[in-house]
Amino acid sequence: MKFTRREWIRLASTFGATQLFGGRGTSGQPQPLFVEVPPSASGIEWVHENAMSPSRYLPEALGPGCAFLDYDNDGWMDIFLVNSGPSDFWTPSKPVRNALYKNNRDGTFADITEKAGVTGAYFGMGTAVGDYDNDGWPDIFVTAYGKCILYKNNHDGTFKDVTEKARVATPGWSTSAVWFDYDNDGRLDLFVCSFVDYSGVRKLECGNNQIGRNYYCVPRVFKPTASSLYHNNGDGTFTEVSKGTAIAKALGKGLGVVATDINNDGRMDLFVANDTVQNFLFMNRGPGSNGRWIWEEVALQAGVGFSESGRPRSGMGVDAADLTGDGWQDLFVANVDHEMFSVYENNKDETFRDAAQAHGVARATRLLSGWGLKYFDYDNDGSADLLLADGHPDDMIDSYSMQVKYKEPLLLFHQGLDRKLHDISESAGPAFQECLAARGLAVGDYDNDGAIDVLIGTNGGAPVLLKNNAAKGNNWLGLKLEGVRCNRDAIGARILWKAGGKSRQRLKNNGGSYLSSHDLREVLGIGDAAQIDELEVHWPAPSKRIEKFTSVASNRYIHIVEGKGIV
Amino acid sequence: MWKSAFLLILSFGTIARAQTPQELVQDAIQKQQAGDLEGAIAEYKQFLKLHPEATAAIHSNLGAALAGLGRFEEAVPEYKTALRQSPALAAARLNLALVYYKMGRVAEAATELAKVHSEDPSNEQATLLLGDCYLRMGREKDVIRVLEPEEPKHPEDAAIAYMLGTALIRDKQVEKGQLLVDRILRNGDSAEAHLMLGSAKMNVGDFAGARDEFAKAVALNPNLAEVHVLYAKALVLTGDSDQSSKEFKAELAVDPFNFDSNLQLGATSRQEQNYEQANRYFTRALKTRPGDPGVRYQLALIALDEGKPDDARQMLEPLIRESPQFTEAHVSLSLAYYRLKRPADGKREQEIVQKLTAEAQAKQPGAKAQ
Repeated sequence: MKFTRREWIRLASTFGATQLFGGRGTSGQPQPLFVEVPPSASGIEWVHENAMSPSRYLPEALGPGCAFLDYDNDGWMDIFLVNSGPSDFWTPSKPVRNALYKNNRDGTFADITEKAGVTGAYFGMGTAVGDYDNDGWPDIFVTAYGKCILYKNNHDGTFKDVTEKARVATPGWSTSAVWFDYDNDGRLDLFVCSFVDYSGVRKLECGNNQIGRNYYCVPRVFKPTASSLYHNNGDGTFTEVSKGTAIAKALGKGLGVVATDINNDGRMDLFVANDTVQNFLFMNRGPGSNGRWIWEEVALQAGVGFSESGRPRSGMGVDAADLTGDGWQDLFVANVDHEMFSVYENNKDETFRDAAQAHGVARATRLLSGWGLKYFDYDNDGSADLLLADGHPDDMIDSYSMQVKYKEPLLLFHQGLDRKLHDISESAGPAFQECLAARGLAVGDYDNDGAIDVLIGTNGGAPVLLKNNAAKGNNWLGLKLEGVRCNRDAIGARILWKAGGKSRQRLKNNGGSYLSSHDLREVLGIGDAAQIDELEVHWPAPSKRIEKFTSVASNRYIHIVEGKGIV
Repeated sequence: MWKSAFLLILSFGTIARAQTPQELVQDAIQKQQAGDLEGAIAEYKQFLKLHPEATAAIHSNLGAALAGLGRFEEAVPEYKTALRQSPALAAARLNLALVYYKMGRVAEAATELAKVHSEDPSNEQATLLLGDCYLRMGREKDVIRVLEPEEPKHPEDAAIAYMLGTALIRDKQVEKGQLLVDRILRNGDSAEAHLMLGSAKMNVGDFAGARDEFAKAVALNPNLAEVHVLYAKALVLTGDSDQSSKEFKAELAVDPFNFDSNLQLGATSRQEQNYEQANRYFTRALKTRPGDPGVRYQLALIALDEGKPDDARQMLEPLIRESPQFTEAHVSLSLAYYRLKRPADGKREQEIVQKLTAEAQAKQPGAKAQ
């Protein structure tokens, strides 16, 4: 790729010139920040089947999700891709299945879906990966229009469908899901977003638009539903525990969810992005006097339920991270075109302010519709950046909109020294000039080089794998945290580190993005610091143990076990 | 579309007895007729110092001279004085209405024009201007009431056909409106025809078709009233917000007090957190439609954005009393109460939001179809 002098100056001023090069000893030409790895190179030949029909049934437009996971615990990220499947509106004429790709550790992947037994059975939507039975092996939960499936990892490269035993089938239309330990009992519980009540109304046609054909109904026309919260009983079964709580009362059209700790009280809260109705912020208030868990829905008063004009937006993707570096979790919501996306900065009192304008995100996203997204430090300079995957839900939008397109570009924002997000998409490489019908997005370091890569699910298309070149030149430390008393995935852990005189911290959230699941490891960017001088891991309850490490060498992954240190 | 028609009222009345003052007035009138408005104003004012008891005609003439120089704020009190002295002075009232119209104070212009129209229904200028004011105020039924009797008398008048046709179409009397469209169409490829066709297409949800018609209308006559604002609305609905902003601004170049343009551009400025600019747009919008709930809501949002929840509350409470179904206002009032640490009030408003939302949801087709 050639850069103009103007692009070069702009890029150099943003990053520092050394970070623009793909590696030492290059010819001097800056390389793209992310490079698309084609199927011919990765071996990922699977293509999503969206089942698009003349009737335009809405589930066709919403998938697919994707995940980075290490299903075989070999230390290399594998890939899981969700596909559609048989439903009450579609009978596939040829087999349609999910895909599990094993990482061959050489930049290629091998399709082991059939052997693994994770092909799917319903019209799949998304996935959430978590070690719900604390056996050290990741399990896969697949959401769907129809029923969900929980695949338990058999530790031998195969999985077993344990949905019925676990009692997490969640009939209806589920979208994003998240594993988290809401009651701090050391076991991962499960929250499953429910979209709309599509039963009996699938034949509802929204058509005769300007081009005289059916188009996908705006979700506004369908009835909202309540999402589900499952408590992990610790014996392979779950109990649906939302009944009588604010979660059951809150009828929404959930598409995205992130588990995070909004008020730093040590309990994981839930932020749910809803389509065409208000978002929900469920504050985890702990056990009530009657033993029932208390959830309080506070989105309106928190300022994250509606647009600043008092209107519900079409929330799809979400995320949480400490964007401003003040130790408090900020939120993000991607909406549909002309609604602009939201950058909610935490006021530290359970309220937020939308700083999308100040960050330039509002303007950059005005014509876009966002789904998968992630706050992550792509260049390992220590600050959270942002990547957005976009695409309009209506495949015919180009026919009657002057500016809005069905396929849209990815957006990459870099956090500068001014703590603002700067849109650098134009100069991030060809992958950011391409337009996609993007949906799910997961991040993970599939080549273990410490630079976090990106996987994007596209509706009716092949997944897009982006290899990260942007972090080269900066140092890092990768952490695999293993809980013992706390949940094995250490969701809810807080990591504090000091390097090069700078102190930073990160809360290990879970979920976020859209329909997708990220690499559970944490990569700590330390810029040009040679090592991490101090590292603390604050394990979540029930142990709340704090472990400290000093002078930790960089540019490697380490495995920390709760109570045992680095192993 | 409307050219100001300031009428010079020549009356010497009480000043005829005083030679010097009479000369002063005659000289002022000559200057006014010759276009030397500054000179005329100076002499009228000099005369009024000498004879503060001067007739309504002098004040009216002074008002006209001031208005001719665009000094509308000064012209208004002169016309008002004239009308206090001679309430039946129709020309002064019409002139006052024209000044209000040019100032964007469309509601006040309509009030004065309604009086002129009531006194003299044959005053065509007042009637047409009144129809135009009502159209700008969104009072379609009043447009129809005022202009429907005029239309048969002026079958070739494109302006009447346009205003009446537009009002009929907006009032869902599409067939009647279409007849007027057809009449305009028979007269060739006119801006008015495309404007009306565009309006008809907007009404049936053909936004792309409407957009194309409005584009033709703009090309044929960019000065046609509301042509830019209608084009802008169609552009918004077809997803071209950049061009729509340009068109809203183009409308303001023709008519600085166009309500929709000021409201839309104000809302955009507010979204961009340019509150000073937003306030300017909203202030002008309120001059056109005093008390408009949409503008008042936007001003309340600015107060909320600027961290003034009590100011917002004071604006929102009367708004929801007047418009209890205004869901967004309930949302914002709830937020204002929570920010003011009044959770009980916030919760009450939140429950209203939930109720209104549920009612709206129940009307959706997906709630019924099984």
